Amino acid sequence: MEDLRNKARELLAAKAVQVVVGYGRGTGASRRAVFIQSAAEAGELLFDNACRQNLAVYLMKPEVRKLGKMALVAIPATLRTILQLASENQIQDLELLALVPDASGAVTQLATFAAIEAHVVLQDNDLSAAEKGELQKYEIMGMEQRRQFWEEHFSRCLKCYACRAACPLCYCSRCTVECNQPQWIPVPAHDLGNLEWNIMRAMHLAGRCINCGDCSRACPVGIPLHLLNQKLISEVYTHFNSRSGMAAKADHAMSTFKPNDAEDFIR
Amino acid sequence: MARIGVFVCHCGENISATVDVKKVAEAASRIPGVAHSVEYKYMCSDPGQQMIRNAIREKNLTGVVVAACSPRMHEPTFRRACAEAGLNPFLCEMANIREHCSWVHEKSEATTHKAFDIVRTLVAKVKRNKALLPIKVPVTKTALVLGGGIAGIQASLDIANSGHKVILVEKEPSIGGHMSQLSETFPTLDCSQCILTPRMVEVAQHPNITLHSYSELESMDGFIGNFKVRIRKKARSLDEKLCTGCGLCVQKCPSKKISSEFDAGLGLRPAIYVPFPQAVPNKPVIDREHCTYYRTGKCRLCEKICPTQAIRFDQEDEIIEADIGAVVVATGFDIKHGDFFPEYGYGKYKDVIDGLQFERLASASGPTLGEIRRPSDGQVPQTVVFVACAGSRDPAKGIEYCSKICCMYTAKHAMLYKHKVHHGKPFVFYMDIRAGGKMYEEFVRRAMEEDGVQYIRSRVSRIYERGGKLVVKGADTLLGSRPLEIEADLVVLATAGVAQAGAEQLAQRLHVSFDAHKFYAEAHPKLRPVETNTAGIFLAGACQAPKDIPESVAQASGAAAKVAILFSQSELVREPLIAVVDRQAPPLYSSCVGCFLCQPSCPYQAIEKEEIRDRDGQLIKTIAKVNPGLCQGCGTCVALCRTKSIDIQGFSHEQVYAEVLALLNRGEDNV
Repeated sequence: MEDLRNKARELLAAKAVQVVVGYGRGTGASRRAVFIQSAAEAGELLFDNACRQNLAVYLMKPEVRKLGKMALVAIPATLRTILQLASENQIQDLELLALVPDASGAVTQLATFAAIEAHVVLQDNDLSAAEKGELQKYEIMGMEQRRQFWEEHFSRCLKCYACRAACPLCYCSRCTVECNQPQWIPVPAHDLGNLEWNIMRAMHLAGRCINCGDCSRACPVGIPLHLLNQKLISEVYTHFNSRSGMAAKADHAMSTFKPNDAEDFIR
Repeated sequence: MARIGVFVCHCGENISATVDVKKVAEAASRIPGVAHSVEYKYMCSDPGQQMIRNAIREKNLTGVVVAACSPRMHEPTFRRACAEAGLNPFLCEMANIREHCSWVHEKSEATTHKAFDIVRTLVAKVKRNKALLPIKVPVTKTALVLGGGIAGIQASLDIANSGHKVILVEKEPSIGGHMSQLSETFPTLDCSQCILTPRMVEVAQHPNITLHSYSELESMDGFIGNFKVRIRKKARSLDEKLCTGCGLCVQKCPSKKISSEFDAGLGLRPAIYVPFPQAVPNKPVIDREHCTYYRTGKCRLCEKICPTQAIRFDQEDEIIEADIGAVVVATGFDIKHGDFFPEYGYGKYKDVIDGLQFERLASASGPTLGEIRRPSDGQVPQTVVFVACAGSRDPAKGIEYCSKICCMYTAKHAMLYKHKVHHGKPFVFYMDIRAGGKMYEEFVRRAMEEDGVQYIRSRVSRIYERGGKLVVKGADTLLGSRPLEIEADLVVLATAGVAQAGAEQLAQRLHVSFDAHKFYAEAHPKLRPVETNTAGIFLAGACQAPKDIPESVAQASGAAAKVAILFSQSELVREPLIAVVDRQAPPLYSSCVGCFLCQPSCPYQAIEKEEIRDRDGQLIKTIAKVNPGLCQGCGTCVALCRTKSIDIQGFSHEQVYAEVLALLNRGEDNV
């Protein structure tokens, strides 16, 4: 922890970055994001197992971005997010620093996409054993059961869009749900509108989601949104042998036209 | 407020026999925004079009819906009529109540309802149509011809003679194609080489034709009038400018025992070779796979002996880039080889050969110098069985189609055999004789009646060896299916004509479609037989379907005429039905977030980056931009865009959504 604080002090004092986005004390045992802009504040930084939020979400928030060059305290999902955002032309190389604390508290500083890529290939990017178990339980359900499962969950959706705000890859300046000419998704939080919104959210992340799980954690009514994403991650991996967030320049599984595609629908 | 005109067509009785057109027109007049609604017997006729023109002028229509046939049929007709009356043509839509309704349903209330529903959706759409202007693009007046067989040669000469530049690409070391391998040609029995080689020379000497032999198309981008191609000129391993074609290297090359492709495997050639003496260009090529130097690092005899020092062992493939306005695909066909006929012993018995091999045996330039001698022991065969339809018209073998040329060349083969071996006995096993064509039937009759070729209507069940003879088993179906065995010395299989290996890959490079057998698809089987569905790419010869020489030549001249028509204009006009990225008022400027996931999705490489800058030149945002010249309006990017920032002009989200809603929200305004 002290390593991390020292690193932040050093970077801010040398004006290598203008802001360090890291974890600080939240309510109770929880941790929340803190935005350290001077060396004096660096003592607020914490790092422990409760630090789960994907701080890369702030890379895409204009109010944070305008603070200047950023150093991000990064967990594995954060690094994948950085690479995915790079592959989607949203951030440039050298625009940010990633600070990766390890179990002993020592901090690795990654300054380039190439360094992040080299770090990411070494970490475990697959779904965890617990996640796989949960997904298997979902997959043994029949189609009708699955429909009921989601109808029940989505009936509680408030359309608060917390999932969207928490997701680092939901960065569109005008979300489709806000298009009203035509009005693709009904605005009220009723069954049809909820279903359409949640399916659209998941589909827009197909082949892109880097599995941080922040959508589910943000949901105030506890909809297991991560299940939809993880199902899509496993489908994309099975069919295209592709995992998002692994490289700053990547072929996007769901949006790359290949003339030798096995399917003959587009020729 | 919209003022839409609805024009319901009877199409004679095509529509009015099952749809109550009067009711449809009457109900359409009650749709909000419809200012004029009529029906007429033939809307596409001149009086029908005049009704539309008059209504546009008299009632100040802002949009037109013609409820008639498919837009593929008459949309251009009606759009032109609208334009003549001063209405932007893209404010006219077709409601297809013929193919989509009257032709596929019985006469009933429901059919009339459906016709009205179709009209209603198009009225909802046309209210949101915007006036569009056609796109003009320049034309590069150079044609690319792929394939130097007779079709490619003919197309090249015709285009070149009409005054345009041609780049002819042939993958083999010489042009000439299959025709150069043939002995004589039906139905006149004139020598194939004698009529072909002067054309080959003409190609080589024509000032408007650039010939790239031993070359292949590497890639192609762009669109009609503006293609960019990359041609891979494979290394011949010699300097073509220095080589005089003296042939010394070919004579001296020590590895001479390589199976000759030109002789269909019946002859031998050296590692440095010219495919045949009349080759164009008459320059050798080193077959690196078999050359002793490339295999062992030693030899270089040809280099030592070459009087002009033209040999270049270290030569590499060269990539040639060119701008092209149109493409003629004339890549030809192949015949079925290999283990396709285990029951006929093809590939197992040396004396079971295919038609192309027989051509080489009968050819004066062939391995036997025109004497019919069988491959196994060089003896003159006394009995020869010709099997027509070996593979063709055989759904069990996966080839349902007729290869078209086999009936004729089998008759020719039997005749040539009889002319050369007077006492020989030729038998032809056939399913049916298909001899449609000028002097074709007469030719087959001549084989049967004058040359004594015995025709047996039977398929061959099996061919096997017995005591040095090939036993051909069949059943004469004209004599009560009596089982039949013939002991032959040589069997010639008229194997099915199939698409070239690599036809699919080339199609993908060119973005043209093909059928289940990988033959290239024409745009319309009757009315657009030389066009493909990709504008600016034309077809000639057997790459489209098996064809004989006269047909290939005729189609090649047709394709050349299409190219000449295209090149007769300096500018092309394209429909503006392309994708556009939205622009909005600041601070958004565009809803595009510049993720560029659309970029790899575009099959036409039409998506570029555009920078939005303020008046001081400061970069505000980088967004996607669709190149209007390249976009084909396929809509792939539209479907992928998460923010719905891309629209197809003429098929915008708003228009399509309005159509769907009109269908879903059936109001009071019904029939």
